[in-house]
Amino acid sequence: MIRARDVVKEYEDGDGARVRVLDDMSLDVEDGDFVAVVGPSGSGKSTLLHLLGGLDIHYRGDVEVGGVKLSGLGDQALARFRNSHVGFVFQSFHLIPNLSALENVLLPSHFGAGTGDARKRAEALLERVGLKEKKDRAPVRLSGGERQRVAIARALFGGPRLLLCDEPTGNLDAATGAGVIRLFQELHQEGLTVLAVTHEDRMSAAARRVLRLKEGRLVEESSPSAPVASQGAP
Amino acid sequence: MRLEALSRLVRLSLARERKGAFFSAFGVAMGVGALVFFVGLGLGVGRVIREKIFPTDSRLVDVVPPAVSLGSLLGGGKLDAAAVERLAALPGVEATYRKMGIRVPAVTRYDGSFFGARLRMGMEVLAVGVDPGLVRSDVAMGEFKDAGDGQPIPALVSTRLLELYNKTFAPARKLPQLSANMLVGFGFPVEFNRSYVAATAPGPVTAAQAQVVGASDRAMFAGITIPLETAIRLNRASGVDADTFTGVTLVASDPARVPALMEAAKAMGFEIDDQERRLAENAGAAVALTTSALALLSVLICLLAAVNIAHAMSASVRARAREIGVMQAVGASRSDVRNIVLAEAGVVGAFGGAVGTAVALLLALLVDRFASGYLPSFPFKPESFFSFPWPVVVGGVVLGLVAALCGAYFPSRRAAATDPARTLAG
Ligand SMILES: Nc1ncnc2c1ncn2[C@@H]1O[C@H](COP(=O)(O)OP(=O)(O)OP(=O)(O)O)[C@@H](O)[C@H]1O
Ligand SMILES: [Mg+2]
Repeated sequence: MIRARDVVKEYEDGDGARVRVLDDMSLDVEDGDFVAVVGPSGSGKSTLLHLLGGLDIHYRGDVEVGGVKLSGLGDQALARFRNSHVGFVFQSFHLIPNLSALENVLLPSHFGAGTGDARKRAEALLERVGLKEKKDRAPVRLSGGERQRVAIARALFGGPRLLLCDEPTGNLDAATGAGVIRLFQELHQEGLTVLAVTHEDRMSAAARRVLRLKEGRLVEESSPSAPVASQGAP
Repeated sequence: MRLEALSRLVRLSLARERKGAFFSAFGVAMGVGALVFFVGLGLGVGRVIREKIFPTDSRLVDVVPPAVSLGSLLGGGKLDAAAVERLAALPGVEATYRKMGIRVPAVTRYDGSFFGARLRMGMEVLAVGVDPGLVRSDVAMGEFKDAGDGQPIPALVSTRLLELYNKTFAPARKLPQLSANMLVGFGFPVEFNRSYVAATAPGPVTAAQAQVVGASDRAMFAGITIPLETAIRLNRASGVDADTFTGVTLVASDPARVPALMEAAKAMGFEIDDQERRLAENAGAAVALTTSALALLSVLICLLAAVNIAHAMSASVRARAREIGVMQAVGASRSDVRNIVLAEAGVVGAFGGAVGTAVALLLALLVDRFASGYLPSFPFKPESFFSFPWPVVVGGVVLGLVAALCGAYFPSRRAAATDPARTLAG
């Protein structure tokens, strides 16, 4: 699903000096895997997600996602890729405040995604995340967990095979977070590939693989603590 | 991105920024409204000048003998039949119409009923004879030709004289208002070779009845216009010059040939009576200048409106950076983002332009209403002071659109350059 080779990403800091965030980073993720990425604040986790999701193209190296080689894609092609190949879930949800839950889920449809009855599809997705009754509510009238579920439904709208999640439980209390984690597990069991940046132990515990971002590279974390993950596993 | 999706997104964001959008549209409406109003006024007043005050036909050239006739000493500058033939032969001349003034004084003494009022007056009359072709279309009764001794003389009056009479003379003297139609058929006595003030020619006095047969733009302003043959006959009867003409009107085949014709006539020793044309041109130029100044001012307002939109749009783009990032994350390309911003501005601009144009049209209507209802009548007072050909109306809306798009140009580029990775982090 993901194949990244020798990726180098640098930022310029305020003084014009270059700071290397990803340093010859390589990554392989199998189709249908559930991967957690951990690492200290500022280690480049969000940066990595943006590269994989085609939101950032200023790097060296090769990134291939779902058979699409991202380096070298034009703006239109990248937009199409984001529209239907990946779904983003952010820590602070990033819902558009003056749109209802349903309209937020429908947002990708304006940029091409979802042939057929977009509205029906969005309603089905809201039902899937357990918010059928609240589809017409504005985001301010939803709880944090509900907002994140709306955001997940939106990420699923284009029918992606990969979900990229940036601390999806970071703004949620433990109980709500657990619910969201369970949702990811279910989606994973339905065949979706999930790559989640997280600080939360329960999230990494739910994942099948845990990678640590360290000095610009990803290293395999020794065996994830199994108990929680084994819940739904065979 | 489909149009339908674009319009939905634009509607959503305009609904949210209702107030800002309203003020932006208001600015555009001010500029466009002022421009449409002033251009309409300029065109309307220009039309009144062209059609009512100085109705000049751009194809006509009035050739007259030189005022100080040096030429006559040298055998030139005499506007006789031979000269008319030479003028008629000039390239580009489609027709020639001769004019001959009555070269003896004339008076009218009227004592009788005058359209319901009683009128008693004696007054000097000027008369000029013209080739019937020049005025044929304005003749409303009978044939415009010399009927011979003792017969009524068909006479045309000037439409402008009629206007002045109606608006200034008639009200002051409590005389009835007259239309050209009412005047047709009205007869009055004229005695040629008689005067209250001037010396007369040695020949006899000729008494005749003049009968108004219509009103014409081309008729002499202060006097009556009669058939050329009549003028020749009367001049001959009074024993004065009945061979040279007081003027010839040349009809050019094309307005573009007029300057060349003027030059040729001057080269032949004649002068051009372009007083009317000059007056029309001067008045037209004055109106055009005023209109241009006001239009320029309006364009400046439009420019300000564009700057205002630029300002509002860049603030809105900045405030929405995160939302733009979200749209990019779910599949908006850079051109999608740019198009959304441009479309928002476009809707605001077209709306402002349409409202401004509508208000200008409405205001013009009110001014005309007011003028016809409350302003006293004055000569050449038009039905409408405005003229709004469709390009002006469409142009108003388009200008609003263009001003807004210009204003949104840089903000839209800035929006398209939004770095989603930066706005979405955290
Ligand atoms: N646009 C940018 N310009 C310059 N430096 C940046 C930019 N974005 C990120 N950085 C720097 O790159 C490094 C990695 O940032 P990143 O956001 O990827 O970290 P992170 O691992 O997601 O941190 P956190 O856990 O706090 O979210 C940080 O040192 C940050 O300061
Ligand atoms: Mg981060």
